[in-house]
Amino acid sequence: MEKIKIGIPRALYYYYYGKLYQIFFEKLGFEVVVSPKTNKQILDRGSFLAESEMCLPMKILLGHIDFLKDKCDYIVVPRIDNFGLDEQTCTNFLALYDIVHNLFSIPILHYNIDEMHHEGELEGFIHMGKHFYIDMITSMQAYEEAKEEMEVENKKRHRLMRDLLLKDQRKILIVSHPYNLEDSLIGKDILKYLQKQNILAIKSYDIDPNLVYRGHTKISPGLYWHFSKKELDSLVYAYPNIDGIVFLSSFPCALDSLVYELTMRKIHKPYLHLIIDDINATAGIETRLESFLDILVQY
Amino acid sequence: MKGYLGIDIGSISTKGVVLDENDTIIASSYIWTEGNPVSAVQRLISLLKKELPSDIQIKGIGTTGSARKLIGLMVDASIIKNEITAHAVGTMHFHKDVQTILEIGGQDSKIILIENGIIKDYAMNTLCAAGTGSFLSSQAKRLDINVEDFGDLALTSKNPVKIAARCTVFAESDLIHKAQVGYPKKDIVAGLCKSIVMNYLNNVGKGKKIKEPIVFQGGVSKNKGVVHFFEEALQTNVIVDENSHLMGAIGIALLSKKMESEKVYNLDVCDISFETRGTECRGCPNRCDIVRIFKDGKHIDTFGNKCEVGSR
Repeated sequence: MEKIKIGIPRALYYYYYGKLYQIFFEKLGFEVVVSPKTNKQILDRGSFLAESEMCLPMKILLGHIDFLKDKCDYIVVPRIDNFGLDEQTCTNFLALYDIVHNLFSIPILHYNIDEMHHEGELEGFIHMGKHFYIDMITSMQAYEEAKEEMEVENKKRHRLMRDLLLKDQRKILIVSHPYNLEDSLIGKDILKYLQKQNILAIKSYDIDPNLVYRGHTKISPGLYWHFSKKELDSLVYAYPNIDGIVFLSSFPCALDSLVYELTMRKIHKPYLHLIIDDINATAGIETRLESFLDILVQY
Repeated sequence: MKGYLGIDIGSISTKGVVLDENDTIIASSYIWTEGNPVSAVQRLISLLKKELPSDIQIKGIGTTGSARKLIGLMVDASIIKNEITAHAVGTMHFHKDVQTILEIGGQDSKIILIENGIIKDYAMNTLCAAGTGSFLSSQAKRLDINVEDFGDLALTSKNPVKIAARCTVFAESDLIHKAQVGYPKKDIVAGLCKSIVMNYLNNVGKGKKIKEPIVFQGGVSKNKGVVHFFEEALQTNVIVDENSHLMGAIGIALLSKKMESEKVYNLDVCDISFETRGTECRGCPNRCDIVRIFKDGKHIDTFGNKCEVGSR
């Protein structure tokens, strides 16, 4: 019998959980199809399908799903409501499941997380297994194994960042979501440019979040967005060791515009705020980065 | 005699300066880019050549401005730097204690904050070109006034009209409305100058601490009306250097002096055929818009490509 194909779009939550899904489904004997790196065609397709008010990463996600729609049997579209009290995610992302359901006729695997109502990661995975009549124990085992592999990889990334922070070289902390910075169309150029200039880029999401307990309260005690809190935690942790900070947000991200603005007013190191939209403007970004580095190095 | 050439190729105008060893200006020129940076620079250099003494040896060339990379390649520049650093270096050379630089150019406007001779912070306008030189010149055309007379006319007004300054499109329709209602031309012109200042302070200067001494430069700084309204809004004195329009070119010439090598540049680029061809790369789905550059018919470099495929 031919294997069932599970499609995972390389966008948004892929950069947090993509590997986890991939290992989980492969352990259960499915074939996993991951969409290719974002390119102009995918973005164009996504912008065409999207509402104008959606943010750039959402447009990219729709483009990826459009790419996958006739190459797999199911697509994973997570719906993460919260990770507990005051640990919410963006409301727009919450709507993604329904948006995708409306736009495409492909079956969606739902992965619902709502920890306030006791639907955690494990329950989410068991639920996905149930869809294919896989019993709870088998799903649990596959999840535990996948989680373990992920933990090993995460530890590696965390250790790398910790080592980089101690290096005697110019360091810039990039405060951003991985779906912005890791995306080959949006953020990769920035990383490449910094590398060319011999500057270490510290990624905010690669810093171990457990190192600083509630560090974000130093900047804002009332914040209730999970991923923004994590960003600020790592900012507070890395702050003494870095030379400058780059805030990278995509247009029109409401969370970032609020959180970054708030943060910028409370820090005392050189910073740069880059906003990226779907109009191709890499030249402008390079000028801004170049002059920012000039400020750090004093030409 | 040694000389250092700085070229600032902006979207509207192209500026060139030659400095000698003592950092004094021995030749300068200011011409319109007219949408063709390559030919503008060729014209610029031939104009500069006429002013230069015959025994001059050009020991360094620097380029800045939005076409810096292209022209840097064309003249084989020793340094290619962004306009923010160039402007700051140039200004600090003439005004050692400057703390704030306001700059309004043809397509963009920026603010640079300096503390003790070190650039501390800067901001640039985003994609929107509202409140820049190109907006002023297009409105001047609409009102049938020379851009050069704009400032003087604005100063004669006692009652500048209020113009919606947030967006160029709204500002324009507001301006037409005001004209149709019957406001005199001078009040409208003054209102325009004021709207540029308000737009700048609310957009680019938002949240920045503007400290004295303040230097205002870029093409728009030649407009006395804008200077007047800046002084009114900031309630302090705003310095406009006589070379304010050349500051970027001076800065980059100074930087090229720092980079001095033994090489002597000749200024014969005017005679070399330099051609650019823009195409869409079909190497991968990214479809980058790339520009291929040919010097004497030979392909020397490519801009705009995201990957190696496009550079072939």
